[in-house]
Amino acid sequence: MTELERELKKALRRVDPPAGFADRVLARAANQGKPAAQPSAWFEGFGLRWALTCALCAVLAWGLAYHHEREKRGEQAKERLMLALRITSSKLQIATQIMQEMNSPEPRQP
Amino acid sequence: MDNVTGAAAALANQLNFEELVREHERMVFSIAHHFLQNAAAAEEVAQDVFLELFRSLSKLESTAHATFWLRRVACHRSIDYARRNKNFAAEVSWDELPEHRREGGQLPASSDPLLSDRLRRVIAALPDKMRMVVILRYQEDAGLEEIARAMKIPLNTVKSTLHRAHAVLREKIGTSLGEANP
Repeated sequence: MTELERELKKALRRVDPPAGFADRVLARAANQGKPAAQPSAWFEGFGLRWALTCALCAVLAWGLAYHHEREKRGEQAKERLMLALRITSSKLQIATQIMQEMNSPEPRQP
Repeated sequence: MDNVTGAAAALANQLNFEELVREHERMVFSIAHHFLQNAAAAEEVAQDVFLELFRSLSKLESTAHATFWLRRVACHRSIDYARRNKNFAAEVSWDELPEHRREGGQLPASSDPLLSDRLRRVIAALPDKMRMVVILRYQEDAGLEEIARAMKIPLNTVKSTLHRAHAVLREKIGTSLGEANP
């Protein structure tokens, strides 16, 4: 050990805390209630099960809502497609009719 | 469910909080005091450390674990406190400290009563991490690996930090202190 190390040990000797330190700590701890062991055990036993059940229900509800929303959107898209097809079909019929009229020979004048 | 609660309560009783406080109050207070150089701040930090212990009692496996835990948390809470209260950290500016000058070949004698005070002032001006490594090493007599685990830094960082701290302290206090005694 070097001289420096010896001096460092001397300079950094442990010091006593102010009088009544431990009592103040214990009083503050007492005000805080019981140690964390109780809530932790409660959470691990009873609370954790409830928390997991609630989380599972929330996930299921969200999944159902999401599935329902997707189905609804699919239906809407299908309806829009059918409408577009109907419009296209009627337009085609009109165009075909016009073409037929144009190609047919004009009736002779009596 | 009752078994789980019972086991936790049994463990909490096994590690008696009051005994832990009384056994380790000097260690925790001294770490904070040497780091912060202020008794009121050190008491505040030390009290918070013990209250954190009170809340975490069920996670601790043995008294040895509690000692290690207290040392580690005292380190981190002291550093946090200094960072939160910038005015606190390094009341002594590093540049304000004069370097040691040889006067007629005289070097500070190891019996110099002012040397410990001067060392503490120089230590107070060290950067946070370096200061804590020095405190753990020389106040707590902690091994290098123990310091690395407590501060959550690599072992090589501890070695190099301590090496640099020695160099700085020698420069500020006096070169003769770095030499090994025969």
